[in-house]
Amino acid sequence: MAQIRILLADDHNILRDGMRLLLERQPGFVVVGEAADGRETLQLAQDQHPDVVVMDIAMPNMNGIEATRRIVEKHPNMGVVILSMHHDESYIIRSLKAGARGYLLKDAVKAELILAIEAVVDGRSFFSPQVSRILQEDYFQALGRKNADDSYQLLTDREREILQMIAEGKTNKEVANTLNLSLYTVDTHRTHILQKLNLHSVPELILYAVRKGIIS
Amino acid sequence: MWFRPAARLLPQPIRSSEAACTPGADYTPGAAYNKDKMRQRPGVILVAGFGGLLLIMAAAEAGALLFLNSLRHNDTSLQARFLARNRTLERIRSNIYLSGTIVRDSLLAPEQSGAQAQVATLAGLRRNSENALQSYASALEPEEAAPFQDLRSQIEAYWNVLDRTLAWSSDERGKYRDAFFYEELVPRRTSMLQIADRIEALNEEALRRGDAKLGDLFGRLQLGLVAMIAVTLLGGVTLAAFTIFHILKLEGEVQQRLAESVHSKASLQELSARLVRAQEDERRALSRELHDEVGQAFSAVLLEAENLLDLDPAPEVRSHLDSIRGVAANGMNEIRNMALLLRPSMLDDFGLLPALEWQAREIGRRTGLRVQVASQMPGELPEEHKTCVYRVVQEALNNCAQHAQASAVQVTVRQEAGQILLSVQDDGSGFDPARIRGLGLLGMEERVRHLGGVFHIDSRPGRGTLLRVALPLAAIPETPARSTLKTLSNPKKSGELETEMVWNGGLADGADSHSAG
Repeated sequence: MAQIRILLADDHNILRDGMRLLLERQPGFVVVGEAADGRETLQLAQDQHPDVVVMDIAMPNMNGIEATRRIVEKHPNMGVVILSMHHDESYIIRSLKAGARGYLLKDAVKAELILAIEAVVDGRSFFSPQVSRILQEDYFQALGRKNADDSYQLLTDREREILQMIAEGKTNKEVANTLNLSLYTVDTHRTHILQKLNLHSVPELILYAVRKGIIS
Repeated sequence: MWFRPAARLLPQPIRSSEAACTPGADYTPGAAYNKDKMRQRPGVILVAGFGGLLLIMAAAEAGALLFLNSLRHNDTSLQARFLARNRTLERIRSNIYLSGTIVRDSLLAPEQSGAQAQVATLAGLRRNSENALQSYASALEPEEAAPFQDLRSQIEAYWNVLDRTLAWSSDERGKYRDAFFYEELVPRRTSMLQIADRIEALNEEALRRGDAKLGDLFGRLQLGLVAMIAVTLLGGVTLAAFTIFHILKLEGEVQQRLAESVHSKASLQELSARLVRAQEDERRALSRELHDEVGQAFSAVLLEAENLLDLDPAPEVRSHLDSIRGVAANGMNEIRNMALLLRPSMLDDFGLLPALEWQAREIGRRTGLRVQVASQMPGELPEEHKTCVYRVVQEALNNCAQHAQASAVQVTVRQEAGQILLSVQDDGSGFDPARIRGLGLLGMEERVRHLGGVFHIDSRPGRGTLLRVALPLAAIPETPARSTLKTLSNPKKSGELETEMVWNGGLADGADSHSAG
């Protein structure tokens, strides 16, 4: 199995050191670079082509959210896992919108970090259980406030199936192969799902799925 | 009963109402007493001055009136005396004429017996003129004494001569008549009349002298009056000058004190604003420090504990490491909450609306209060405006939760015609804003006033509360946002923030409340 190349971005040396130690003890994991700010992260991502960037949000020069946006824009296959102290949905949502596929809180245990890195390398998403809970809580709170019907009920079984797969990070092609459908059909389903749920992009869809507890 | 304690964890901004008490402190009772005394003295002087002036004027007037009265009295008595003496002289003169005529008639009379009647008449005349002389003599001017004595002796002689003629026989009369007539009677009479004329002239002279004396007195009165007027005028001018000077001085003092009080009020407000700013800066710094440094330190401890656990330590060590990990995770959580309560990082990282939404969620989680936030803002606000709106909403929500027993709150922020309009409406118990003015309320008002805004509370017991704030935007130049993310947000993002709000709102706060944004 090929090694998973990891770039660490955090402005605290001691944290990077700790993480490097922790990750490199993991078989198959290699830390290919450490960056102390956003710009350095961009540069190293460009130079080292890591599989996963483990990124803090609060960093000098360029914050982690902006760095994530630029990295994902430039390297769509590079996975970004946010590792942050921030546990408010405004940070989580902005990170996901920027293209991060994992969001961990810094009080996450080591297992979570490893799971997240593996999931992101697999093209899936991963969130700390705490993060999922926060998003779901907010969602249900909002639903309760609105007293509205869940738009999830509008989806057909097939659409729900496809929603889960897309949320897990599968491409249209992978979905089509798995379900034995044409690429065109999957694309149509995908459009319908976004319309019915009033969503506009895949990150929003992932967030929705997390909130609904479809994926974790 | 809302708006009493503010958010418990947050230190309160300095209230100007408290600060405003301090300048009065140097106004000690002793100083006040001295100032009162100083203020009383000119009062006494003014009363004494004006009173004295009025008294002098009244006295002068009364004196002048009395003097005029006595002058007039003197004048009339002088005139009366003159006329009486003139009349007496006239009587004497006419007696002399009459006596001459009677003597002539008696001398011309053929009969002695007829003369007898004339003698009686003559005696009457003599008595009359002697009476007149007597009365004239009673008030004799010194210079009249000599001619009067002359006149008196001449008249005496005259009467004696006349008496002699009356004793004459018919022959004697016939014989001496003409001679007596022309040599005795006429010259004597002429001489007497001349003396009488002289006395009359003297009498007139006396009248003139009296008049002159009166005129003199009048002149003195005039002089006195002029002097009096001059004195009162001088006094009045002095008093007026003093008064004007004093009033101007007081006016100047009042102006100075007004300027001082305006200045001290302005500087108090400035100080208060600066304190609020400083406090906000400090909270931001503290929040960031807690979050980034202390929080990361806990995070590092956590990681190191994980690393140690990876080394497969003895069970005893493992349990200690687990405990360290638990403590660090706990500490990190605490620090994060504390930092958020001090100043939510979203306010600096993402702007007002995410911070308000966090606040709404946070208070909902804590108290069950349902808070809807609706915003219609084209862009980010200046730093101070953002903080002001955030703190006002924070305080209002705390009040809603703690005092108003509200179940739902609607927060609306929009920008319109160069100002930010904020409203916070709750369905709580309400209160009487005229009676209850807690510190929290004052603090909100103070913050709004610093930015030149208007703060309005509309509430009645049992009817909920509507808080409205209007903040002018042009008043303060834009300050760059300070981000706790250690970088400035990409300026291109503002449009994106809008869509994000809509999307976010669709999931969290209801699309209806955000459809406006």
